[in-house]
Amino acid sequence: MNIVLIFLQLIFFLLAAPFLSGLISKIKNNLRMRKGQSILQPYYNIKKLFLKGEVVSETASWIFRVCPFIVASSMLAAAMLVPVFIFQSPAHQAGDFLALIFIFSLGRFFLALSALDTGSSFGGMGSSREMFISALAEPAFCLVVFSVSLQSGSTDISSFSGMHALTVSSVFGAITLFLVAIAETSRVPVDNQETHLELTMVHEAMALEYSGRSLALIELASYLKQMILFFLIAQIIFPIGLPVFGNLAGLFFWSLWYLARMIIIAIAVALVEVSVAKMRLFRVADFLGFAFILGIIALVCAVLGV
Amino acid sequence: MTELILLGVLTATYLMVIAKRMPALIRSFCYQSFFLFLVTLLSGFMEKQADLYIIALLILVSKVIIIPYALGLIAKKINIDDNLGLFVNAQLSLITALILTYCSWVFAKTLGFGQGYQLLAITVALSVIFIGAFLMISRMKALTQVVGLLVMENGIFLFASFVSNGMPFFVEIAIFLDVFVSVIIMGLFVYKINKLFTHIDVNKLSRLKG
Repeated sequence: MNIVLIFLQLIFFLLAAPFLSGLISKIKNNLRMRKGQSILQPYYNIKKLFLKGEVVSETASWIFRVCPFIVASSMLAAAMLVPVFIFQSPAHQAGDFLALIFIFSLGRFFLALSALDTGSSFGGMGSSREMFISALAEPAFCLVVFSVSLQSGSTDISSFSGMHALTVSSVFGAITLFLVAIAETSRVPVDNQETHLELTMVHEAMALEYSGRSLALIELASYLKQMILFFLIAQIIFPIGLPVFGNLAGLFFWSLWYLARMIIIAIAVALVEVSVAKMRLFRVADFLGFAFILGIIALVCAVLGV
Repeated sequence: MTELILLGVLTATYLMVIAKRMPALIRSFCYQSFFLFLVTLLSGFMEKQADLYIIALLILVSKVIIIPYALGLIAKKINIDDNLGLFVNAQLSLITALILTYCSWVFAKTLGFGQGYQLLAITVALSVIFIGAFLMISRMKALTQVVGLLVMENGIFLFASFVSNGMPFFVEIAIFLDVFVSVIIMGLFVYKINKLFTHIDVNKLSRLKG
């Protein structure tokens, strides 16, 4: 039974992740009085890219070819570290909350490496910026992890997913994680997913040399990463305990409930994206420094027990 | 619930510390005053005192609506670039603010405010006062001094309302009037300084015109 549920969790993540991105772009476009692309556009994009051929630069080494698989599989592994349909996260023996952060870093490291590999100047710029942003985002993420684990008594993600009460510390932790998620999923104040303007792009600059199947894998990985982060924020700010259901209908309702919470987060992200202008790169340090301070507040609240 | 709102006050104060432009600073002041309004409203609700409701309403009208509007108007009228001119950059300011918060926590403990809720409230109030003073001394533009004073006033209001269940009603009203008038007077001063010197940089004021 557990095996089936684990597979269902993987399918849930793979199916719902592009939907959240499509939803965010649809909300943004509607708020700007545009019609916008369909919510299902990310699915069409991925299907199109999987069917297309691939062009690889002559100067690229094996790292360039192997990187999309590493990035995609690291995000899939991260998706196995969170508990969705069963009490324990599917890979709970393999790692905890901290392992999740390092698995994220693994994907990021290889993406940055592959961007450097082709020797394009945009790739180098993108990866150096990505490293700059992630070096600032990771400490804030770690502080959220510490504050949450102090409350639940363990760094295992499933133990904090089992919490029922909303504390002051988890509110601040969720806000911190929200700011970190904006930086990590390359959303507007930090980066812009919609544009390929050479001076501002960060994530897009790293994926610029990729095409076809590899690009599809990298995009899928970024959707998955976004969904995992939204899932964690939802677990912290809307504590509902661990899943309890008897039959298939119950399972269906649980997945709808999960999705509804993540849709609320997605709406918040879309509102932030519409209402804020993109920051200068060096202003990002202040943005993430603020996230870090909020993380410290969350940690202190967790220690004080409020 | 009150803890959350108190920490909201603190967060808004940190937002003021990293603000680099005048509109952002005024907006964060607006948030801070709004959280103060919520604190007062909640304590009025819990202690069932009618005058706290009136004070809360006064905060909402004067500090959340009128004073930010007036400050925005002055900033617009002076019509110079709205960079605040930071003596200490945003990152260092944030770290300083954090250290000030820690100091006020230690100070609140030595003052003998026991545990939990009251300790948190006094810590937040003291750190708002200190950060207001820090804002006054570490920003170049004269208008920031006005905002820093208002932040300190907010902190003193919080401190008074948690140490002694608030100041007497008429004192409170008088302070509101004072603050309001002082914003207008200081705004006028800043306007005049700008007219005379064509800038409002505090560190250049020593070179007075003859």
